Amino acid sequence: MPVPIVEFSDERLPNGLRLIVAEDHLAPVVAVNVWYNVGSKHEVPGKTGFAHLFEHVMFQGSANVGKAEHMALVQAAGGTLNGTTWVDRTNYFETVPSHQLELAMWLEADRMGTMLGALSQENLDNQREVVKNEKRWSYDNRPYGSWMEKMLGLLYPEGHPYHHPTIGSMADLDAASLEDVKAFFATWYVPNNAVISVAGDCDRAQVRAWAEKYFGSIQPNPAIPALPDMSLPEILGEERRETVEDQVPLARVYFAFRAPAFGDTRLDAIDLAGQILTGGKGSRLHRRLVREERLAQDVAVFTLPFVSGAAACIGWATVRPGVDVAKVEAAYLDELEKLASEAPSEDEVARAKALTEADELGSLARVEERADRLSMYATLFDDPAMINTMLPRYLAVTGEEIRDAARAIFRQDNRIVLTYVPKPSGATPDDTDGSGATRDEEAA
Amino acid sequence: MSVDGMISQRPVPGEPRPFDFPDTVRTTLANGLRVIVTPMPGRELVAASLALRAGAADEPDAVGGATVLAARGLTEGTEVRDAIALTEAAERLGASIHAEAGWDATSAGLDVPASRLAPALDLLAEVVRRPSFPEGEIERLRDERLTDLLQARSDPRRRADEAYVSSIYAPSSPYHRPAGGAAATVETLTPAELRVVHTSTYVPSRAALVVAGDVDPDEVVRIAESLFGAWSGPDESVPDPIDDTSAVTSRFVRVVHRSGAVQSEIRIGHPGLRRLNPDYHAVAVMGAILGGLFNSRLNMNLREEKGYTYGASAGFDLRRARGPFTARAAVNTEVTVPALHEFLAELDRIREAPVTDAELKAARDYLVGVFPLRFETPGPVAGSLAGLFVHRLPDDELDRYRGSIEAVTAADVLRVAREHIRPEAAAVVLVGDHDAFGEALQAAAIGPVEVIRDADPVAPPADPVAPAAG
Repeated sequence: MPVPIVEFSDERLPNGLRLIVAEDHLAPVVAVNVWYNVGSKHEVPGKTGFAHLFEHVMFQGSANVGKAEHMALVQAAGGTLNGTTWVDRTNYFETVPSHQLELAMWLEADRMGTMLGALSQENLDNQREVVKNEKRWSYDNRPYGSWMEKMLGLLYPEGHPYHHPTIGSMADLDAASLEDVKAFFATWYVPNNAVISVAGDCDRAQVRAWAEKYFGSIQPNPAIPALPDMSLPEILGEERRETVEDQVPLARVYFAFRAPAFGDTRLDAIDLAGQILTGGKGSRLHRRLVREERLAQDVAVFTLPFVSGAAACIGWATVRPGVDVAKVEAAYLDELEKLASEAPSEDEVARAKALTEADELGSLARVEERADRLSMYATLFDDPAMINTMLPRYLAVTGEEIRDAARAIFRQDNRIVLTYVPKPSGATPDDTDGSGATRDEEAA
Repeated sequence: MSVDGMISQRPVPGEPRPFDFPDTVRTTLANGLRVIVTPMPGRELVAASLALRAGAADEPDAVGGATVLAARGLTEGTEVRDAIALTEAAERLGASIHAEAGWDATSAGLDVPASRLAPALDLLAEVVRRPSFPEGEIERLRDERLTDLLQARSDPRRRADEAYVSSIYAPSSPYHRPAGGAAATVETLTPAELRVVHTSTYVPSRAALVVAGDVDPDEVVRIAESLFGAWSGPDESVPDPIDDTSAVTSRFVRVVHRSGAVQSEIRIGHPGLRRLNPDYHAVAVMGAILGGLFNSRLNMNLREEKGYTYGASAGFDLRRARGPFTARAAVNTEVTVPALHEFLAELDRIREAPVTDAELKAARDYLVGVFPLRFETPGPVAGSLAGLFVHRLPDDELDRYRGSIEAVTAADVLRVAREHIRPEAAAVVLVGDHDAFGEALQAAAIGPVEVIRDADPVAPPADPVAPAAG
């Protein structure tokens, strides 16, 4: 099918704010999306979790908007909204009926310009408790909940900005002061560190006029700090293994491999390898481990597309009751080995591409996703046109390139094997903290 | 007021661009199959699904789980080809077929580029009309379901959901158990039970083919006629009423104890109302105010004021019979009992006095305003149309939706809160560390407390499990 091209404009206001507008009038809806070039990789030791805590604080009001009123105004306008934080960035977004676009832009401008003066200790304390409950809910009180924190700790060396998870540590969250939060805002939440994308039913000239009106007076920060050198050797250089006892009924083996950073075409090939290995019933790992040999309840392979230094390819297999964990690990690694030694068939590659194409078209059909992608490619690569070039890039990958990319990373001296096993029954309650007996508080 | 040159004046909304639910063409084939097509020009990725009025609530208790397993079994092989060949054929079209069943319906569907719709519908017809339910594959699916049930017991959220429904419905009700069946019946299922589900409920009189996207309705009807025209089966009989008997006559507390849990999963409520209840629109507004919007009373109180939780909400699961009304949150262990007080206070408050004009307006404006966002792409359009068919709602239900919401008054909200929320006859279900809050819970006198100690939430594997050697 024809690949639709997203047409957009791309410019900067005098204060450095990058404005991208992609008009499309199919539906009477429009998305506003702001990416701040700040994520958990910008945090320093002792202050982990700040970027994410800050994201919560951004909904606590600004000069002309009360606490939680941002949510109320957008929802009453018939809109949806949220904000998310990840290692490389923080984003905020609203999708609204098109006649409410100006409100969404004004709300984003008001908090970019004036959040600092409105923040109170009371609201910070409240959101600190909310975030601690988010951590308990998403990590601590969930089977296998500590895996991501452990995996990042094993994948990235101590002191590397990807070493700690975005949620941070309870101790650092407790220690966050109003002054810390204000300094964070003054440093990073400035127009020259942000991209605003507007996609959907809008008028480009009108959007530009509103951007100037509402964002134009916000002062830039002329001294945005540079990131430390995040480069890493291409491979880990050793195999790292850890076993965790947890309150889980089934063992699960997590795998991780250091991989080329997001943006490198070799990572595109690894994405397609993931599709070939675990994308659906016909995929290699699913077919062998789940269907034929019935060793696993489920399997996964996917990439963590980090942009600085090195990304990662992650996977897991959940071990069926009564099956030897070692056997599952061996079968899993054997399939990775095969992909690393022989190029997948043309038919396999074609199917992986067809599904990738359909996924991409489905995602880009929604204005919310289109705006997010434009902000992402502009922030991470200074190249919003990647919204149109990524799919052709995937479609151009050959079977040999998939094999070569797999061979380069799926090796013993580049892997982490993190195995969760059921805690033996009869463990005393004192040994448990609900999140795994070998839970390591110092890791963050 | 102006801070740093910022504009304090809030923008006034422009003129709304008119939006109507897209025009939909409905046809009935001679065998009774409904064909429902919504052309959405410019939407190249088409959503297609075959919806069947074949739900888990209709199956006999003895084969609990058969309907869900049958749906999952559809893509495990047909008379024409095995599961792998089927998957690969779909993937070559850029599509993956998904099939699932719930309490009221079974659905098999796919998203596919418009140019490949005909071969994709061919595959869809094949899995719906001619599944072979191969013995080995069905046995595997059954074992996967049993293993999933084992996993559910160790996950605090899923354990809470399971304990909650079994607390609020009488054992005679199918809603007492999971839609996918409990272990005792799932382990007895074989291809024979699945074939019974298929023969008796996968019939054209219970089915609708729903297609949305950049398609020509005449063309879709022609394709449907060629693929489904010869499909036959008994006429749909009048369905038996579903037993939705409540097990809650007065308030009680049930705690599933998990030693050392850092949070308590809370579920509070009772059987709610049917989808076809005439209070549907008023309940939507009331539910949004109580626990649906971000700024709902529950979330503002428990999250934004108290910081007890990452999110508190409440809502009605609307089924053919009375699905659950549930208020829910996960709170840190120390505040478990104070959080229960806040929940119960909010359930009382919504029944005691009318909501404010501002609350009413915010909820109505949200539900009305978000309507065009809901139907931006073909998937949700097809899903909503399938829902109308399943519940036998009139064709113009979605056209009347916004007007009906706008007509809801504060008096309506108060009336439906009093009628459909019953804090004095609610089950309060907790999964958490009873050792930490048990005394306070007893002292709070919320209701009689029962503590369940899962024998061993972690089932020992049959073989000793040793980590692999390095």
